[in-house]
Amino acid sequence: MLKNDFEPNIVAFLCNWCSYAGADLAGTSRIEYPPNVKIIRVMCSGRVNPMFVVNALQQGADGVLIGGCHPGDCHYVQGNYFARRRIAVLKKLLEYLGIDERRVRMTWVSAAEGKKFADVIKEVTEDVRKLGPMQQIRRTNTW
Amino acid sequence: MVDQKKLRDEAKKIITREDVKYLVGWEKGTYGFQMTPLFVTSSDDVERLVFNPLCIHNLAVFPMLEEKLPLRKGAHEDTRKIGVVVKGCDSRAIVQIIQEKGLEKENLILIGVPCNGVIDPKKINKRFFHQTKTDDIEEDDKNFIIKTDGKTHKIPKDELIMDKCKTCEFPNPVIYDIFVGEKIKTSSKPDYKEINSFEKKKLDEKWSYWESQFEKCIRCYACRDVCPLCYCKECMVDQLNPQWVRRSVNVSENAAWNIMRAFHLAGRCIGCGECERVCPAGIPLTKLNKKLEKDVLELFEYKPGIKAEDKPLLSIFKPDDPEEFIL
Repeated sequence: MLKNDFEPNIVAFLCNWCSYAGADLAGTSRIEYPPNVKIIRVMCSGRVNPMFVVNALQQGADGVLIGGCHPGDCHYVQGNYFARRRIAVLKKLLEYLGIDERRVRMTWVSAAEGKKFADVIKEVTEDVRKLGPMQQIRRTNTW
Repeated sequence: MVDQKKLRDEAKKIITREDVKYLVGWEKGTYGFQMTPLFVTSSDDVERLVFNPLCIHNLAVFPMLEEKLPLRKGAHEDTRKIGVVVKGCDSRAIVQIIQEKGLEKENLILIGVPCNGVIDPKKINKRFFHQTKTDDIEEDDKNFIIKTDGKTHKIPKDELIMDKCKTCEFPNPVIYDIFVGEKIKTSSKPDYKEINSFEKKKLDEKWSYWESQFEKCIRCYACRDVCPLCYCKECMVDQLNPQWVRRSVNVSENAAWNIMRAFHLAGRCIGCGECERVCPAGIPLTKLNKKLEKDVLELFEYKPGIKAEDKPLLSIFKPDDPEEFIL
């Protein structure tokens, strides 16, 4: 397959209170964004276990996006701060192992930022499209 | 060098106390340059207790390994204390466990011993191939004096000690109740040269290196079992629903296991190097752990296992944590 034909698979873990509502707003406002993103709703970005990210990369995702509320706006007051620390460490670790850190992205999108959500998805999709398919830790056996 | 007699005297004092269940130390192993953990349960066992540069095991793992069976009706929990002989790195593991509230300081009695570096079993077995007996091992400032088969070998320390000991910052325990021996002065700084040079490599090179390493992994989980900080009641790889890591042994699952093992030790690993020592496949796990140690120091200015009152790294945050990577 030529690299140009490659359509990336992006898994987005979006928090229920901000980013998911932001994605909803992007939809209701009819803002166009790439259809490559598969959204998984979580109650808070602090819920995102790094194992989710690694597992997504194993099972077919070429990139993972984690969306949370802006710092200080978290519905659970501090969940996104914890998530930020975790993902910062995880990105460094993946880079060290030879997995491009741009495959794991994090963003703050509030419920009012439908346009920003669409822009973020566009940016992540284009980045991952350039990187090509995830090969390193992709699961090959089907059981 | 620790005075063995003094160590035994202190151990005897502790074990004869009524509120002490047992004490963990080291004794001479069955053959070669092996030491093995010793559980002192009565004052008769004390005579077998030793400490020398061959005592490589991190004994901090034992208080956490102890199985706590459900209590019968009317039975009382055994709240007696556990004694542990600790080197510098072991004591940091204990501090880290106390931070995470896995253990309480009141339930422990720590005998601290100074440590100038322990001997790497791989290195010494290469020198004394098929060696079955040791008579005596001593150390002076720069050399180990090993007496075996009636011969005396004088070997420079640098050739035998573990790599992690060469840049050890904590030769003295950071936490102890009784200290045996003399404190060692050190000015060592952590050395991240190897990590830095590896970071500069290209992504492909890095992955091909780690792929070749992870291919070897047989997922025996010895690294987890020996780690004093891997004490979850149920490890995420043993979980069946959801099954995070599948049982099949291939690069994908092995990599997932090794990524998560390293990540779960981020900001907790104290660098005792036990995981690498026990790895039957010879995967350089300290290289992963050290990378995280360095990142945590750079990103959050955090060093694990120093103060028991501190909070664990990933359970705290600062509003101004680095966030350049956020879109």
